[in-house]
Formats: sequence, C-alpha cells, structure tokens
Amino acid sequence: MSVGHVAREFESRGIPTVSVYVRSFRHVAERMGVPRTLVTRHPMGRTMGAPGDTARHSVVLEAAFALLESAVAGGALLELEEQFKPGSMR
Amino acid sequence: MTGSFEDFRTSFSYGSRSDISFKFLKSMSDEDAAGFFQQLLIEVGAAYDTGDVSQILELAYQTQISGYEPDPEHPSRWSYEDRPFVKLPKPLNESRVGLLTSSGHFVAGADPEPFGVENMTQSEAEGRIGEFLRETPVLSSIPRNTPRDQLVVRHGGYDTRSVVLDFNVSFPRDALVAAEEAGRIGELDETLYSFPGATAQGRVKKVAPAWVEQISGDSIDVMLLVPV
Repeated sequence: MSVGHVAREFESRGIPTVSVYVRSFRHVAERMGVPRTLVTRHPMGRTMGAPGDTARHSVVLEAAFALLESAVAGGALLELEEQFKPGSMR
Repeated sequence: MTGSFEDFRTSFSYGSRSDISFKFLKSMSDEDAAGFFQQLLIEVGAAYDTGDVSQILELAYQTQISGYEPDPEHPSRWSYEDRPFVKLPKPLNESRVGLLTSSGHFVAGADPEPFGVENMTQSEAEGRIGEFLRETPVLSSIPRNTPRDQLVVRHGGYDTRSVVLDFNVSFPRDALVAAEEAGRIGELDETLYSFPGATAQGRVKKVAPAWVEQISGDSIDVMLLVPV
C-alpha cells in the first residue's frame, strides 16, 4: 500500500509513474487508483523475478516501460503472463 | 509445542514458527489452511517420483494469492475513486528515470536506525513489526553506483532472503543501468531511493509530498516504483 500513496502523489504533481506489483497485491493497486500498474505473477518479495534471473528482470522492466508509453488514462493495469521461474542461486 | 490447529497456523505470522512468506496462513480459515497443507504433502509425494517441484511452487503461490484476498467485511480505508494521471512529457529515450522501492534498502554507513537502534538485524525488525506499523518510514538515498556489498536490506514485512542474494529482485538497479546503456531510457537518476514499506499508512501518505519534492529535485521525468 505504501507505494500507492507515493505514486498518486508523484502523478498529481505532474510526474508520470509506473508501479510493479506482485499478483497477491493486485487488488491493492486497483483500489488505490495507482496510475499505471504492471502485475507480475511472482511470489511476494520477488517482484522483478528470482535472484539472478536477469533475463526476467529485464522483461519486467521493459513491460513497465511499455506501459508507461501506452497508457492513456489513470488506473491502467497490465498483468504479465509469464509464470515465476525459480532461481538457481545458493 | 502443543495447541490447536489455529494456534499452529497463526504461529507463522510473527509467532513461534514465524515465516513471513507464509504469514497469510493467519488470515485463512482452519479448513482452507488444512487443505493447503494436505495438498502440499500430496505434491511433495508426487515430486519424489517426478523431480518436478513446479506444482509445489504453484500451490504455494496460489495459496498466497488466496491468503491476501481482501475481506469484503473489512474494506480498506485506503481506497480511492480518482485515478491521477499525466502523460509522458517526452520520449523515454530522452527521459531521466528515477527509482523508488519499498524494499527497505539503504547504504552501509547510512543506516536509518529505526527507533534509535544501531545495526538492527532482519530478525529484530521482524520482531518489532508492530512498532514499524505505527511509525513514519525513513527514505534512504542510495547513489546508483553503490557497490553491491554496501547495499543493505532490512524490512520486517517480507522474506528478504531472495533480495539478500540479489538486490535486483526488488531494487532493479542493474536492469535500469542496462536500459540506459541500450539507449532505452535517456538516463538513470544518480540517486535511487528506498524505504521499508511495512509502516503506518497514514504516516506515509502524510510524508509522501515531502518525498516527492525531494526526489523531484533530481529533475526526474518519470518514476519506476517497486513495492514488495
């Protein structure tokens, strides 16, 4: 929830934002009116992907950028289809 | 330790079996939680023979989603009808991008020292979660070139084991630098920001304008926000 407050504040002051939420908290972004939300199908605490999964981190970031560019109204939300890929770090 | 099944499932939420990846068990019914454990054991049994743990992970993931489903009888006070929105002021490849996460990162030597405690550990932060949830969070400024071993994380509200292995899990500095090098964005801000998101919501709402003013001072054009 904390980030939702800040995202709304940035946007109301003229700075566009995109926020990346894990699926468990999609409803939080929706009810808070987060301006642009990218949802990842990742476990809580692993928003961008597993440790060491640089490819997924980049896919998520690019999707966030694309949403920044394509959204035309507040409350824009996109859920990435990619399932979580476990990491291999120890 | 003995007790009821309810005692057992609630003990994962900052109790005797604290495991914050599964603290949502506290808010589940006994029946649903029992169903989760039963199915978990079935999937473990199957994985013995197949070596495929994907169904175990999928079960945990789906149960976590269920565990955080909003309770219609207790609607959140933090709900809004309006949807603030501004367009990009210029193309991304000409924009300065900022990063703010609620992952609880800070630079070694610049510990926000919550409650005046020096070198608070992750375990101590989890133990004091009730106090964090009543406190105003501190915003940490993190130079983008901070060495990996100088970037510290502490957050009483989520399992930080993965982010200790790789900060990029919730603080995607390296992917942003790569996007800058590839020309996808104009530049990444020199200073990145983080705070521990398990905090008093009314207080973070109150402090948000000052944070936005501070970060806007970096002349950023767009912000990437990453909650955990």
